[in-house]
Amino acid sequence: MTKYLLLVFMLILPLNVSAITADEVMKKSQAAFLYQGKDFKARVMMKLISKGGAERVRELTMLRKNYGEPGGDQKFFMYFFQPADVKDMTFMVYKYPERDDDRWLFVPAINMVRRIAAQDKRSSFVGSDFTYEDISGRDIQDDTHSIVKEEKLGGKDCYVVKSTPKAGDVDYSYKISWIDKTNFLPLKEEYFDRKGELYKVFSADEVKTVKGFPTVTKRTMKNLQSGHRTEVTYIKSDYNIGIEDSLFSERFLRQPPKKWIE
Amino acid sequence: MRKFSLVEFSVEHPKLVVILSVIITLIFMTQFPKMKTDTNPKNMLPATSDVRVWNDEVDRTFGLYEDMIVVGIKNEKGIVNADTLGKIKKITDEIMRIKGVASRDVNSFPTITNVTAGEGILHVAPLMTDVPKNEGELKAFRKDLYDNPLFLNRIISKDGKTTAIYVPLEKGANGKEIADRIREILKKEKGDEKYYVAGDPVARDTFGAEMFKLMAIFAPIAGMVMLFVRYLMFKDLFLSVTLMMDAMMSIIWSMGLLIALGFPIHIMSSMAPVFLMAIATDSIHIFNEFYFRYKEKRDKKTAIIETMRAVGRPVRYTALATAAGFGVLLFMSIIPVKVFGGLVAFGTVMLRVLSFSFIPAMFMFVKESNLDKASQGEDMATGRASRFLRSLAGLGVYKSKATVITGIVLFVMAVIGISKIVVNNNMVEWFKKNSEVRVADREINSALGGTSLGYIVAISKEDDFIKNPGTMRYIEGLQRHIEKLPVVGKTFSVADYVKRINRVLHDDDPKFDTVPETKEAVGQYLFLFSMSAKPSDLDNVVDPAFKKANIWVQLKTWDAGAMKEVIKAAGEYKKANPLPIDLKPAGIAYFNLIWNHEVLWDMVKGFILALIAVFVILVFNFRSFKWALVSYVPLVFTILLIYGVIGFSGKRFDMPISVLSCLSLGMAVDFAIHFVSRFRQRLAESQQSPPQPPLTKGGIEGGVNSKLPTPNSSLITDSLLWTAARPGKGIMRNAVLFASAFSVMMFAPLTPYITVGAFIVSMMMLSALMTIIYLPALIILLRGWLFKGGLR
Repeated sequence: MTKYLLLVFMLILPLNVSAITADEVMKKSQAAFLYQGKDFKARVMMKLISKGGAERVRELTMLRKNYGEPGGDQKFFMYFFQPADVKDMTFMVYKYPERDDDRWLFVPAINMVRRIAAQDKRSSFVGSDFTYEDISGRDIQDDTHSIVKEEKLGGKDCYVVKSTPKAGDVDYSYKISWIDKTNFLPLKEEYFDRKGELYKVFSADEVKTVKGFPTVTKRTMKNLQSGHRTEVTYIKSDYNIGIEDSLFSERFLRQPPKKWIE
Repeated sequence: MRKFSLVEFSVEHPKLVVILSVIITLIFMTQFPKMKTDTNPKNMLPATSDVRVWNDEVDRTFGLYEDMIVVGIKNEKGIVNADTLGKIKKITDEIMRIKGVASRDVNSFPTITNVTAGEGILHVAPLMTDVPKNEGELKAFRKDLYDNPLFLNRIISKDGKTTAIYVPLEKGANGKEIADRIREILKKEKGDEKYYVAGDPVARDTFGAEMFKLMAIFAPIAGMVMLFVRYLMFKDLFLSVTLMMDAMMSIIWSMGLLIALGFPIHIMSSMAPVFLMAIATDSIHIFNEFYFRYKEKRDKKTAIIETMRAVGRPVRYTALATAAGFGVLLFMSIIPVKVFGGLVAFGTVMLRVLSFSFIPAMFMFVKESNLDKASQGEDMATGRASRFLRSLAGLGVYKSKATVITGIVLFVMAVIGISKIVVNNNMVEWFKKNSEVRVADREINSALGGTSLGYIVAISKEDDFIKNPGTMRYIEGLQRHIEKLPVVGKTFSVADYVKRINRVLHDDDPKFDTVPETKEAVGQYLFLFSMSAKPSDLDNVVDPAFKKANIWVQLKTWDAGAMKEVIKAAGEYKKANPLPIDLKPAGIAYFNLIWNHEVLWDMVKGFILALIAVFVILVFNFRSFKWALVSYVPLVFTILLIYGVIGFSGKRFDMPISVLSCLSLGMAVDFAIHFVSRFRQRLAESQQSPPQPPLTKGGIEGGVNSKLPTPNSSLITDSLLWTAARPGKGIMRNAVLFASAFSVMMFAPLTPYITVGAFIVSMMMLSALMTIIYLPALIILLRGWLFKGGLR
């Protein structure tokens, strides 16, 4: 009996040593993808492209600052350049992983700051195919994760992780992610709808190292059912630039400091 | 004389002919497994037609769907209670899981975007994220629901008793299949709520599917009815079956050919078997004459050959007229109509080939004793039917002036009736009043904005033009103008979103329920809206460049004319309010308008062409313009009378009627061809041979000689009466057979079938009567003109 147990134990052992759990993969991926550095700044070009090829453009500067460990609170500050008539509009988000975000918007045409309710993290971000969650991250605890397989994607070794939401009120029934084994960035994600059909695909189209941090500088989210897609490009990006806490306030929302938004 | 040799050959080698026919039939049958069907009436217009290309473009620009199902939910006690709302959420969830449903854009309480403000916070979120659990939450929900003017008449009725779930369909999805799935979901629910499933795809695809089903049921029933009636007429099962086989063969040949050529069976061509079956009844003239001849000659072979000699010419020409009537459809622009026309024309020609080969061959197998028995009844003098027909013709012959004057009065009335005809079409009304489809449509239309959807696309010349406050107000004004029409239940546009956000940002102050003053404000409001709304919310009403806007117009009726009124109103508004903006209609309601218009007028065009073609054939047949004109009268008269009745009855001239008119021409002229041909034959024979002993039975002859003293006139009279009694019996038999086959359709659950049935039954009976009463009257009155140059 002990002989058999020993045999079983020996068989499991080598796997156990090198194996990483799915939750760990996702945690590392989240840290690498959304929490890199103490703070982060990017000039973002967003193209919303319809099935027929017509484009809507969003151009903005995004500033992010982390509070606490990866997976913890974050604050975002966004200043819009384009479309032309929304120039000077600013948007601020306090992100809390375990409860609804706080969001504020400054509407320059009527010189008014409004808080915006954020009941649904799965709603579209500025009309794009990305949801707020896709931009700022989804709580690891909200899904059950499992490693389906390991395979190469575009010449890179990846973990292929299946994540299934625990609650039923999400627009997808599960998601398959290809996570690069070396830098833990997600290279591809496939979302399956509640009928079990593939309907959204995320792809990291370009990865660059910025100040030593591997960064996804080009990404696309495509909705296969509507044919609509959104391409996001970081024109400039930088880490650890020392953003002050005071930036994330109503005062600067109305008058964003030039040095941060340019 | 080639035809005669075919008859003789068939009589000499009956077995060979029958075997050959069966083999050909089997060859065509091998094609049947390859059959493809296309039940979508939309395909009457090809995907490349202007309206479909334009609608596709609009759908693409604004991320819209071609088709939408509307599910109505009604609770007499009011919709806003935890129980009903829970059901709405559950049902919406389940509908979104159906394959073919564009789930992301299903609009219902749990999914429709609402913009509200409360405690200084702006909410852009689905109206009902969670089902309200207690009185407080219900109260808040009620406020949300009624405060947003975008919802009223769209997802909530004024009385609060009805709501709707709007279910857009992915391209190519079958509306009937999805509607059936939805009905299954609804069936599981218990309680006070009533459910209705409506919308164009439901009506259209249900109609398409039902039509196929009905054809599969009606064609055999019609066949059986004809078999039975024929048996009553000839008391010989073998011959009745022969006629039936004749029809079946031509159906199999033509359908087989259609399938072999790779055409899908469209709803139009699915009607072909019934039409061919009806056209096949024309061979009854052969049987009719055969029985008379057999009684006279007592020899099968001679009787057959003589029969074919006598009726050969009219049978050939009636076939030609029928084939031409359908053949002209080949020149139409609507493809399924062309296919149908070609199909029936081919079948008709094949029927005639069979009449000259298969039928004579089959006669050879009939036992003489059976023929003896059957032909007993065929006595012109004593037969009840013949006597009746003679007296009918006598009416025309002896009271010719009165008959013609009655005719003229009827003609004038018919013209008055025709002037009252309203051209319109409504696909939902193709279903019976109490059918599920129609009840659902009626209920939803009476409570909400409407199940029919059209768009008005505003097209400017520069980007961001739509964001101008002036443009916004223009669109708003257009909506108010269109909403004045009683057929319009609801409109909405980008201007509604802008106004809503303006008000909500200003603490829900009704003063701000307006378009803001600056272009920047409009742009920023819309941007704000797009930050949280579904991408489709904005896409559906403006294009990405803000160059075009889309105004949704919900219509309370599927009348093709409703969209016409909207287009007219938009045109008026444009004229009264000049702005460099073009307004173009689109959407399914617009498609239906064009679709009806195109099919209808294509048919009218075909009708006129068929009229001409039939006339030309008549001229060729009689080698006389005058005789052609006379034999044309019963046909034209019949059609005028039917249209007159349609005009007086208030029934609209819709697509099924226009299709029918066109189809019926080639068939209705047959009787006149038979009558006039046989009459002239008889007259020629009588002039050559010594006059036959006068017919003394029937009681009319007494007056003949006294009233019409000239021998020529008496000859004409005699020949007319003979024609009415003998070939006339064939005509009546043909008409009755035809009518009995189509009368089956009057029991169909779809109104176009009832129309088809009633139309064809009355047309056949009328044109037979016209031929027997009116033709003799005309011939008598016009004899001077008709016989001026002798008989030929």
